[in-house]
Amino acid sequence: MTVWPEERVLTAEEASFNTVDMTINIGPQHPATHGVFRMVLTVDGEVVVDCEPYIGYLHRGLEKLTENNDYRQAMGYWDRTDYLAGMCCEGAYCMAVEKLAGISVPERAEYIRVMMMELSRINSHFMFLGAFGADVGSFGTSFVYAWRERERIYDLIEEVSGDRMFPTYFRVGGVTMDLPENFERRCHEVLGSIRQGIEDLDGLLTGNEIFVERCRNLSPLTTERAIALGVTGPILRATGLPWDVRKAEPYSVYDRLDFDIPTGRQGDIFDRYFVRLSEMYQSARIIEQCLQELPKGLVLNPGLPKTLRIDKSECYVRNEGTKGEYGVHAIARGGVKPYRMKLRSPSFCNLSALREMVVGNYLADAIIILGSLDIVLGEVDK
Amino acid sequence: MTQTYPYPTGQQTAAAGLGELVARLAGVETTLAETTTDVDVRVAPSALLALATTLRDHADLRFDFLRNVSGVDYEADGMALKYHLYSFTHGHALQVSVPTAAGHPHVPSLVSLYPAADWFEREASEMFGFQFDGHPNLRNLLLEEDLHIHPLLKAHPLQAAELLQGIESGPPGFTI
Amino acid sequence: MNFGDPFFGYSWIDMIIRVVIVALVMTVMVIYLTYGERKVVARFQQRLGPMKTGPYGLWQGIADAVKLVSKEDIRPTNADRWVFEFAPYATFIPVFMVLASLPFAKDWGVRNLSLGMFFVFAILGLNIVGIMMAGLGSGNKFALLGGVRAAAQMISYEIPLVLSLLAIAMIAGTLNLNLIAAMQDERPFIVLQPLAFIIFFTAMLSELHRAPFDIPVAESEIVGGYFVEYSGIRWSMFQLTEYASMWAFSVFGGVVFLGGWEYPKGDDWGWGWQLALTFIKSGIFIMAIFWIRTTVPRLRIDQLMSFCWKVLLPLALVQLLANGFILIYGASEWWLFGTSSLGAVALVAIVIKRAMRRPSTKLVGAYRTLQVPAP
Repeated sequence: MTVWPEERVLTAEEASFNTVDMTINIGPQHPATHGVFRMVLTVDGEVVVDCEPYIGYLHRGLEKLTENNDYRQAMGYWDRTDYLAGMCCEGAYCMAVEKLAGISVPERAEYIRVMMMELSRINSHFMFLGAFGADVGSFGTSFVYAWRERERIYDLIEEVSGDRMFPTYFRVGGVTMDLPENFERRCHEVLGSIRQGIEDLDGLLTGNEIFVERCRNLSPLTTERAIALGVTGPILRATGLPWDVRKAEPYSVYDRLDFDIPTGRQGDIFDRYFVRLSEMYQSARIIEQCLQELPKGLVLNPGLPKTLRIDKSECYVRNEGTKGEYGVHAIARGGVKPYRMKLRSPSFCNLSALREMVVGNYLADAIIILGSLDIVLGEVDK
Repeated sequence: MTQTYPYPTGQQTAAAGLGELVARLAGVETTLAETTTDVDVRVAPSALLALATTLRDHADLRFDFLRNVSGVDYEADGMALKYHLYSFTHGHALQVSVPTAAGHPHVPSLVSLYPAADWFEREASEMFGFQFDGHPNLRNLLLEEDLHIHPLLKAHPLQAAELLQGIESGPPGFTI
Repeated sequence: MNFGDPFFGYSWIDMIIRVVIVALVMTVMVIYLTYGERKVVARFQQRLGPMKTGPYGLWQGIADAVKLVSKEDIRPTNADRWVFEFAPYATFIPVFMVLASLPFAKDWGVRNLSLGMFFVFAILGLNIVGIMMAGLGSGNKFALLGGVRAAAQMISYEIPLVLSLLAIAMIAGTLNLNLIAAMQDERPFIVLQPLAFIIFFTAMLSELHRAPFDIPVAESEIVGGYFVEYSGIRWSMFQLTEYASMWAFSVFGGVVFLGGWEYPKGDDWGWGWQLALTFIKSGIFIMAIFWIRTTVPRLRIDQLMSFCWKVLLPLALVQLLANGFILIYGASEWWLFGTSSLGAVALVAIVIKRAMRRPSTKLVGAYRTLQVPAP
């Protein structure tokens, strides 16, 4: 099905050109697709006339595997969905199981969870800034600036949990172990460096005239259309709606924390980029507040049984993942294994809006639009 | 924009009497229940489209956001589809359950009301075998185009000796 | 020592030796330019660059060359055979011919052509043919896209390039590169014609496919553009072309605008100083090219074309017109400086005016503390 960018009737001379649209395969192996993602673009010259995304290259059977493992064992699969921000996924999964079973989490553990989730959010947004700069063509400078800060965050996460990318740090009922003793000092160091890193990237990209020329007014999205398409997260906020699950349906201790929700005006690529940039400052604020308010106490609910058996129960827990609303729809029906755990991944829904955003724009812009959606294929393909 | 979005106050749904409101305005036969986080409205597949239209368009309900569509295989009790909806104007959330028979049940597609349902329904149909009537493009999304198995059914094994070198007769996996 | 005098014996032996010297210098320069680029770009990106191969990574270029030579030469089956195979040579030969006409020191080069400047930009236009051959002959849609984009871009930017050089030719009254350099003993032509310099530099970046005009080789989109199907020696020929033409343009720009081997005291201090001046000036150009490449994202093809046709071309034409009037009426050189600076300021103002449209960076619609309603 081809869609013309605007309705127009071809003159006799134009119609006699009889050109053929070219199909280009931006294949699963491509530097710009942020993972194994394939899209087949039909191009008329340089204008994209149709776009067909193909996903599933990273489908690993998450939901089926979860059904065959214990409640606690299955968590290991879930932090590999959004692999750039593993702690946010673990948080959602643990919240789902806790809701099903009615388990409470000690306050210190909640604060630690929030800090780790916000660190993961900053991590993921740095990845976006780096990769987006590379997509727009700034060769590798933004990449390397972002990676410096990501290395620092990974070092901090490794000090806390023992692993960089897939920490498996959260547990049903709290977190595995307490923070190391010098965590506060280290965290302040890392936050200072993060703020400097964000400023560097801001200076490199935001004021750059070429960057603005390429991103401004490209693929604007209205709020109604975004909601109808199921788009959430920074993209929805860039259209102007200040909706964040942390404020609208607060979970954990977010209702005690003070932070803003940056929004954009017209939902174009530049707004999405700038919303993510601003969110990083807000996450840093949250982490600082948590450090100040961190109460003492246990980090894991002591009254949990050795094996977790949950009777008939159902819940849909939503979390503000880094890309949008990360939801876990969990059904328990007795026994030690979850009956059904569905992942509502934000990148899946954002990606389904790709076709509408890309058609009618240039080929070079299609790449940038894909970059601005900031998808992570682990989530999309489950 | 003509639509205004008052800032949502974060009210959770279970407190608001939402279930009764929906049952009253629905116009179709519904059964109410509650999950740990949401109000659950159960409706038959034939009534789904009418209910969804009311949910989306009625001024007091205005569920403009389809968050999630999950398929569930309740072995002996058949299969079900669960839709999660949210309203940006009122800030309430809802779950709609549609119990169906086992096998390849036919359910009306919500793509005409919610474009977000497109990929959700494709995924549910390839993983469970649901047939969505009215969906324009019901092909496999996550699995390969020519693979006609339904992996998330409980009867489908987690692992089978699926050798793709053509040694076994017939397509790999499990046929229902 | 004049160009024409055979230095090394019989005139044809002399010619061969000069050609070989230039070829050797070019090869070494290209190898060390690849190394230099990696080091410079790395430093801009807060990292070190090649360090392991040899002291400070100095053998990296040679290691790369050896690796590329030893790679398998793959030719895709649906590539048009002879077009595919000859494209790298068709791209490289014009660059070498240009190098053969540039003066590196006073009266020293391979050949002193009285139509030197004209020869340079005429031959460089042949580059485009080679790129089109690579794009069309590869049998790959990405290559095709790259080739088409490259052709459009290079052909468009030839025009401001040539016009800016013609402005200098009008002032100098000659096309002989050696004489143009010799005329700059008091002041380099960049002082007289800053606008022509800016236009030349921008158009040169575009002819070289360097950022921000590198959309034909946009690595993050079409992964290499017109040379995506090449491997081994053929690919290294494309890289050789790119760096050799970068060096050739830099030397050329140095000769025409910065005073070449003459300014500041080339005539007095002998041929060693003149050679050093040539290399310093081409080095300045090259550093500027690397710097811009590291920092700046790339322009889209339609933005690039509109910049050329709507901004650079009119300014270049206005410059030519102004030069004509000034030279006819024999006004002093300060008029040249004045009009050209006005033009340069106008160009910079246009670019800045577009940049001023950048959005306000204040948060829009940020919500402050949520007033949690009392339970």
